[in-house]
Amino acid sequence: MSKYDLPKKFDHKDTDILKQFITETGKIIPARVTGISASNQRKVTKSIKIARFLALLPYTDMHK
Amino acid sequence: MNKYEAVIILNPNLSSKVDEFKKDFEKLLSDNSFKIIKTEDVGRRQLAYSITNHNKGHYILFNLEGDPSKLLEIETKIKYNESIIRHLFLVVKEHVAEDSSLLIESRNKKPEISSENDVSKKEVKIEAPKKELKEDKSDDAKEGTE
Repeated sequence: MSKYDLPKKFDHKDTDILKQFITETGKIIPARVTGISASNQRKVTKSIKIARFLALLPYTDMHK
Repeated sequence: MNKYEAVIILNPNLSSKVDEFKKDFEKLLSDNSFKIIKTEDVGRRQLAYSITNHNKGHYILFNLEGDPSKLLEIETKIKYNESIIRHLFLVVKEHVAEDSSLLIESRNKKPEISSENDVSKKEVKIEAPKKELKEDKSDDAKEGTE
């Protein structure tokens, strides 16, 4: 089984799930590390980028 | 006709005028023949980074249905509205009927109110001003300690 909680449908508002896929510095963890399917990785990436725009997730840890 | 999901972040200093803003915004939407399917008032929330020197934002989520050509008009109006610090319209295939995780999270933060929220929508509306007062107080306290 996967070590991540994967929902049926990814949502940019679900920050708890998306936080599993970013590093402490806010970077998106690459697929070769997460090991999830390519399709899921694309969905995660897209949701994280939307969540960043809406200030739900940070772009970096350098924000003031 | 497209289905949209809209997220709007309001200036947190105008939190008390949210109902006014909602009315105006709903009028703007209905003028452009947009149908509002669902509204979620998430309330004030810490932003992950500051936007135009605001560290908090008042989040409101909408589920909408309308014409793409009219959306442009709405967006130009929103652009010049200074109380909105950020907005996003997303096209979705289908609307999610359940409450978003943001709303659930904001409810869990105030456990006293969460039990009352479950009753009916009308009652929640009456309690809304009280909620805001509580929020303001807690916010002040936090800022004091920082």
